[in-house]
Amino acid sequence: MKRYFFTLALALVALVASAQIKKPALMVIPSDVWCISNGYYTEIDNMGTTMKVPNYKQALQENMGLKLAIAKLNDLMAERQFPLQSLEQTIKNLEQQRMEDNLTMSKAGNELAESPLDEVARVAKCDIILELSWELKDFGPKHSLSYVLEGRDAYTSKTIGAASGTGAPSFTADVDVLLEEAIVANMDNFNNRLLDHFTEMQTIGREVSLDIKVFANNAAGVDLETEFGDDELIDIINDWLQKNTVQGRFTMPYASENVANFTQVRIPVYDERGRAIDANGFAKGLAKMLKKEPYNIPSKVLVKGLGRAVIILGEK
Amino acid sequence: MKKIFFTLLAAALCMPMMAVGLRQKKADKDTNEFRYEIECAGNAIQGTYLVKVWSYSKKAAIAENQCRKNAVHGVIFKGYGGGQGCVSQRPLANNPGAEAQNQEYFKSFFANGGEFQKYASIMEGTTETVKVGKEYKIGVVVSVRKDDLRKALEAAGIIRGLSSGF
Repeated sequence: MKRYFFTLALALVALVASAQIKKPALMVIPSDVWCISNGYYTEIDNMGTTMKVPNYKQALQENMGLKLAIAKLNDLMAERQFPLQSLEQTIKNLEQQRMEDNLTMSKAGNELAESPLDEVARVAKCDIILELSWELKDFGPKHSLSYVLEGRDAYTSKTIGAASGTGAPSFTADVDVLLEEAIVANMDNFNNRLLDHFTEMQTIGREVSLDIKVFANNAAGVDLETEFGDDELIDIINDWLQKNTVQGRFTMPYASENVANFTQVRIPVYDERGRAIDANGFAKGLAKMLKKEPYNIPSKVLVKGLGRAVIILGEK
Repeated sequence: MKKIFFTLLAAALCMPMMAVGLRQKKADKDTNEFRYEIECAGNAIQGTYLVKVWSYSKKAAIAENQCRKNAVHGVIFKGYGGGQGCVSQRPLANNPGAEAQNQEYFKSFFANGGEFQKYASIMEGTTETVKVGKEYKIGVVVSVRKDDLRKALEAAGIIRGLSSGF
């Protein structure tokens, strides 16, 4: 009798544990505007156009206010049982991975098309990016601090919520004091938006987008209109998405013989083994299905950040 | 004759107490019906809100006492607006039906001498009194320990925590 009781108790504990999902990971980064206006950027040449790319490492090494703001936000989020991921540690890991990627890229002959923000998000495996910016304004002898904290879904880059405002003018010129005041005053409103986002994510899954393309003159001789039995390949892909998205939620704004775009694809937050799924992992599931009988279609899955994946059909 | 005298005396003595009880009941009814005003009173230290609460009563002492209750009630169910450097705050209870759904809990929470007292303290020397018709409108600055209050409400299952469901 006792044995049955314990087995039943264990089964119940396991059921409760499996019903829960892992906490999303959050990370604070300074916004592009803040980095560029404070001189923390690198200029790169992008096919003839000069672009300013934020230099997070330099900002962390040279700006004490940024370190203080991140520490304060971490303190407030830890109080709500959401400790933040460290940007500093992520940058170190990123540098390590860049070295490894450089070697891999030269072998494969491809390039990873990712922005610095995408790279940071991917390496940190964070779900939500908190973009922070502030600016001190002078009103005669008084100073006031304008503050913006914007939460972005690292998967879709969509804004989850923002807290912003300008503090009361004060004779205090200490930016750190005004910044701390602004963070403390605005955090509850920001957390309310975050709670709304978590509730939505727990109900209808994580949002990603997926593009399907076809290699021109591919060896497998397929395109999205190739027929398998009574169905075209695009219908087979649609059926797979219907089965594997949460509540069958996705939209297909464009489809042709060679290209299909799927947006607002709601994927489960974690797979059956409890591992986090991103757009890349989800796309690989589809690629695996297409590789099997009766389709036998080889494909290549490209990484485009956490929330976007591209599958190119026809060749590996 | 003596009996009638003592009965009248007892009634005369009880009258003021009954009047106070009735006024307190009226003040509690006003709280339940959101008949009070709450506004931001400045930037508070971490973990607290600094609010100014205006309460109404025919007895100034009751209105002042009710301000603490109204401050906690306002932070849970009403929230307050911002401006002039103040940040507006949403109520802790996101669900508009939270009070009705947890009537028993809030009845004892807001009872006289109830748990609400733990989360609010009146800032000395901030009382303002305005006579409005037959009653007093009393404004007091109250510091509400909102982080502790939120944790208590989360523990009681009244509101959802940020990490609930994970």
